[in-house]
Amino acid sequence: MNPELFLQLDRVIHEKGRLAIMSALAASPELAFTDLRNLLEMTDGNLTTHIRTLQQEGYVSVAKSYRNNRPLTTCSLTPAGRKAFADYVNLLEQIVRQNKPK
Amino acid sequence: MNPNWAEENLRTIRTLMERSALYRRALAPIMLLAGILGVAATATGLVFHLDSSAAFEVLWLGTAAAAVAGAFLIARRQALKDKEAFWSPPTRRVTQAALPPLLAGLCISLCFVLVGDMEAASVLVVFWVLCYGCALHAAGFFMPRGIKWLGWIFITGACILAFVISAWQPDFENFEDSAYWLMGFFFGLLHLAYGAYLFLTEKGKNAA
Repeated sequence: MNPELFLQLDRVIHEKGRLAIMSALAASPELAFTDLRNLLEMTDGNLTTHIRTLQQEGYVSVAKSYRNNRPLTTCSLTPAGRKAFADYVNLLEQIVRQNKPK
Repeated sequence: MNPNWAEENLRTIRTLMERSALYRRALAPIMLLAGILGVAATATGLVFHLDSSAAFEVLWLGTAAAAVAGAFLIARRQALKDKEAFWSPPTRRVTQAALPPLLAGLCISLCFVLVGDMEAASVLVVFWVLCYGCALHAAGFFMPRGIKWLGWIFITGACILAFVISAWQPDFENFEDSAYWLMGFFFGLLHLAYGAYLFLTEKGKNAA
């Protein structure tokens, strides 16, 4: 395997939990925190920690609002997050192609 | 390191993207509407003695059309309220999955309308329940809640009904009432029961 490709992988996204969050958010305009938690079967604390990391990196934005008089937290990918995710997937595809027996 | 890790990661990404793109509109109001229309159609048929096969078929095809139109209006209203696109990819997938069995049911119905006797109408009930069950089951692959189970209930019910009709061969001269009761059970009561279950479990999503 070409180690250069592996080294180019975004370390922030490559972590299993954060990759799951980015994948789920990539398929929806936005997801409620509770939907994301149920979908990924993560604890509140674990999900909060990962989302904070992604937020600091500028990949995820978090919006707080109210629906039916209840607080609602929604998460979505930022344009930078979408680009980083697309780049990550492209690199993975390149690695897969490279590892295929000729 | 496992040489297939990249492929596994891509598979995980695809699975999660598919799961997160599930249809998420509240189903309780749609199911309750379908159930109410089903019960109303049953009552109409029984009270007004709509005993001819043509009246039976036209009544239920009209009820189905009203239920589909109502379901789309409710879903559209929910989408507008949530400031989301109505014809979203999950809505498209659910519609595409449910369409073939529903279209098959419609074509069979039109053939039965041409044949036009009540014996044919009794068989039509089995086809309707079966086609609708298949449509629910197919749509269930893109919906988060127990739609697939509801589909199986309809499919199993249709199979049992087919066996019962072929084994006992009921008196088709007096089958009109039974056909209405069967339609009322499957398309009225089952929808109402499932809608009530969803209403109690779909927290905060039931406002149509």
